[in-house]
Amino acid sequence: MIGKAERTWLTLVALTLAGAWLAETGHAGWPLSLVVAGLIAVKGRLVIDRYMAITPAHPRIRRILHGFVTLVPLMVIFSHGWGDVLRRLTTLG
Amino acid sequence: MNDPAGATLPAPTLHAQPVPGNKGIWVGIFCVLVEFLLLFCVYFIAKAHHPAAFERGPDQLATVAGVTITLLLLTSGYCMVKAVAAIRRDARRTTFFWVLAALLLGLGYPIVKFFEIRWNVAHGIDGTAGIFYTVYYYLTLNHLVHVSWGLLGLIWVATRTALGVYSSRDHSGLEAAAMYWHGTDVLWLIIFPFFYVLR
Repeated sequence: MIGKAERTWLTLVALTLAGAWLAETGHAGWPLSLVVAGLIAVKGRLVIDRYMAITPAHPRIRRILHGFVTLVPLMVIFSHGWGDVLRRLTTLG
Repeated sequence: MNDPAGATLPAPTLHAQPVPGNKGIWVGIFCVLVEFLLLFCVYFIAKAHHPAAFERGPDQLATVAGVTITLLLLTSGYCMVKAVAAIRRDARRTTFFWVLAALLLGLGYPIVKFFEIRWNVAHGIDGTAGIFYTVYYYLTLNHLVHVSWGLLGLIWVATRTALGVYSSRDHSGLEAAAMYWHGTDVLWLIIFPFFYVLR
């Protein structure tokens, strides 16, 4: 029987294979960065909400985990769009 | 008046606890998240300074290794979900089966990593091959170390499950190991696109 856990696993596998397809087709640029950011956010939330079943957990735990998988995709977008700003900010001298 | 203080209060059940597993494991998980957040900063800063190296880098890596590791971890994580669900029903033999399956799948990670690194080295990709590969080894080997702790945890809970230590009322140790294992999963889901997909 296909339950919630099985559906989650199948979705995660499908998203992973979609990512692998993107890797093999050699896409680059803004579309790829946005897709990768989306994949990280969606897969991260799926593992946190469905695998860890964090929804009824302490709100601080939930907020930190959700914050983590929201912050990293934003970093992906920032580093792609504003890489020169990041380079300037992290250049010594 | 004859009741000792608090004797009539319902005993708190572990299911009612707002902290899955135990507090100790969450201190560990949050420390790992902070550690990897810093490592991700290293990745983004290196990428900002060497965009060409990070654009070319993924082409040289074996995507199949990254995909295999991802599938192993996701499936192993699924087995731990089933294990926790089984112990909540007091199905101890089923729990042991799922933990064992999670462990065996998880052990596939270091095996695939071994062959991936061997393949890399055979193709001239070692830690000195360029900034992209230095960061790649730095992050992925660090993740492998944390997965090793997770595997040791799974061996521990598999043994305790076989000994019949856990029950539907007391399985915080099993749940803690599952939480840590899923935590390493979340990190790999970020690391995988960084080195095999993103350009």
